[in-house]
Amino acid sequence: MSNLEDRLTCCFASVFQGLTEAEIRNASTESIGIWDSLSTVTLAAVIQEEFNLEIDVEILPKLDSFQAFRDYLHSALPALR
Amino acid sequence: MKLIEALKIAQHPVDDATMCLRVFLACGFTPLHLQSFLTAHLRVRRRDIRPDIQTGLFGDLVGNIERLDSSRIDVLAVTLEWPDLDPRLGVRSLGGWRPTDLVDIMESVEVAATRLQHALEVTCREVPVVACMPTLPLPPAFITRPLQMGSQEAQLRRVVASLVESLSHLPLIRIVNEQELALASAPVDRYNVKADLQTGFPYSLAHASKLGEILAGLIEDRPPMKGLITDLDDTLWSGIVGDDGVDRISWNLDGHSQMHGIYQQFLSSLAAAGVLIGIASKNDEETVAHAFQRSDLLLSQDDIFPLEVHWSRKSESVRRILTTWNIGADAVVFVDDNPAEIAEVQAAFPELLCRQFPKDDPRGIWMLLKELRDLFGKSTVSKEDILRTRSIRNAGVWRNQDSARETSSDDFLQLVDASLVFDYGRATEDTRALELVNKTNQFNLNGKRYTESQWRQFLADPTAFVLTAGYEDKFGALGKIAVLLGTAHSNGIHLYTWVMSCRAFSRRIEHQCLRYFFEERGADQITFEFMATPRNGPIREFLTGLVDSPLPSPLSLTKESFSAKVPPLFHRVEVSSHV
Repeated sequence: MSNLEDRLTCCFASVFQGLTEAEIRNASTESIGIWDSLSTVTLAAVIQEEFNLEIDVEILPKLDSFQAFRDYLHSALPALR
Repeated sequence: MKLIEALKIAQHPVDDATMCLRVFLACGFTPLHLQSFLTAHLRVRRRDIRPDIQTGLFGDLVGNIERLDSSRIDVLAVTLEWPDLDPRLGVRSLGGWRPTDLVDIMESVEVAATRLQHALEVTCREVPVVACMPTLPLPPAFITRPLQMGSQEAQLRRVVASLVESLSHLPLIRIVNEQELALASAPVDRYNVKADLQTGFPYSLAHASKLGEILAGLIEDRPPMKGLITDLDDTLWSGIVGDDGVDRISWNLDGHSQMHGIYQQFLSSLAAAGVLIGIASKNDEETVAHAFQRSDLLLSQDDIFPLEVHWSRKSESVRRILTTWNIGADAVVFVDDNPAEIAEVQAAFPELLCRQFPKDDPRGIWMLLKELRDLFGKSTVSKEDILRTRSIRNAGVWRNQDSARETSSDDFLQLVDASLVFDYGRATEDTRALELVNKTNQFNLNGKRYTESQWRQFLADPTAFVLTAGYEDKFGALGKIAVLLGTAHSNGIHLYTWVMSCRAFSRRIEHQCLRYFFEERGADQITFEFMATPRNGPIREFLTGLVDSPLPSPLSLTKESFSAKVPPLFHRVEVSSHV
């Protein structure tokens, strides 16, 4: 797993506590019942702070899974690929 | 603290048995990350509590406070921002900033501030309140350039200043000091206008963390330290009095030693607020006595007790001072300019807080004074605080009596012309009673501490009472020195808490307290919720003397048993009852 994925996993773990690493990597708004709009805002804030970037609010609704966040970060921060 | 850390700390599992601290966070914006930071900082400060942060409706700060059921919370934390006084002072409202609008804004701000003041005055009768005034910048709504303070902006700031001034007089309200907040969180970095628009949460994460930390610090309301032991040479004054002479030591601008004068002035202020100030100095006693006769000294000799001035080890001086004060080393700060002396004292008293006096560093001294103010700061100065040093000085008479005859003799007790004032009731405004309960260790029935709301909840029970005892004798007044909290029933008294200041030992006040229940309240029996603690030996010894057996819990004492054991009591007793 890449360094980016490690850090992203930690971000998810801080918001959705109690999930295993495997559950986090497969996490989506559908698989995690408590993932609501508030969780999205919190998760986005944690990720912005962790990766020192700003996530455009327009794109937030599309970031609905671990994979979507990972892909977004890969494109926003190619150096961390 | 980063948000990811705050979330981890806030959500870390805790034992269900951990005491829950119910905090209502009242704000007009989405509490979001402030809630996480506040929870995390509370858990960092108080490992023994489980914070439960409740929040209210968006955009209705005052309404949230007015609707509060104070029996369901332990603390109210209020974070006011300008839009709470008028939404047009925020970016989420488009109500207009024309001059006519501004006039209307001013009027509505006055009304909202008055309503908030009333809501907080009502709430703080029931629960402690921690409040923060607006931390974010005003919008560019005024006709003046941002560089220039206009009359309308000044008017807004006057309204808030007036609100703070009114609230800061109330005993259960603690208001965040804007000066300290500005040092921790630079005003320019506080506002996140984008987040305000998108999520309704206006703070940068860094500001939310610092504000959460400061609110948690005020919610914690830790008891202040009790005593400070200071060195003299190159600390209380500049110079070595034994070498330089009494006339050459200094603490003024001319002597380039002004910060020593500031330190003296600071200690004098602490002494006036009831902090015990002692001296530990390796010096010639006569020379020091001569130095203390200088009229320009800013710290009166009456403010200091005792002075340990000799050539023995500093740790020995500290030991003697702590014995005289009869308080634990963990409530005392030791200040000395010499690192070697600090190391020697620290090794002997690991729990003592030792600080080096940075004699040639004005900024270092300034920071030291700030730290000391944080350690010794209190909201109010009580009558007992003012009496403390004098009563400890007078206690020497009692100690001499004790050491001469082991226990205070009847003759001596008769001579001191002692009087006791008992006050029995359910009043919760007496902050001294709760303060005494929460800081007394030695004569303490079981070590139980109370939050302000627990104290009020206990006394809301119709059978509950609090009995306080004030003491005075010919050597001076001790003020309120004993507190007993319990419930009264047809068959007797049940005591849940009993504390007595160590300054009041050897006067048979404890016997008089029990006699009050048997004689004045008509009790046939008193039940004590006694529990041994590492430090409550004095009360254990007293109770053992009454029952002549190992102490069960709860422990019961009948009127007959007490009458058989009670020694002669000579106090004049005054009683006032409010139930």
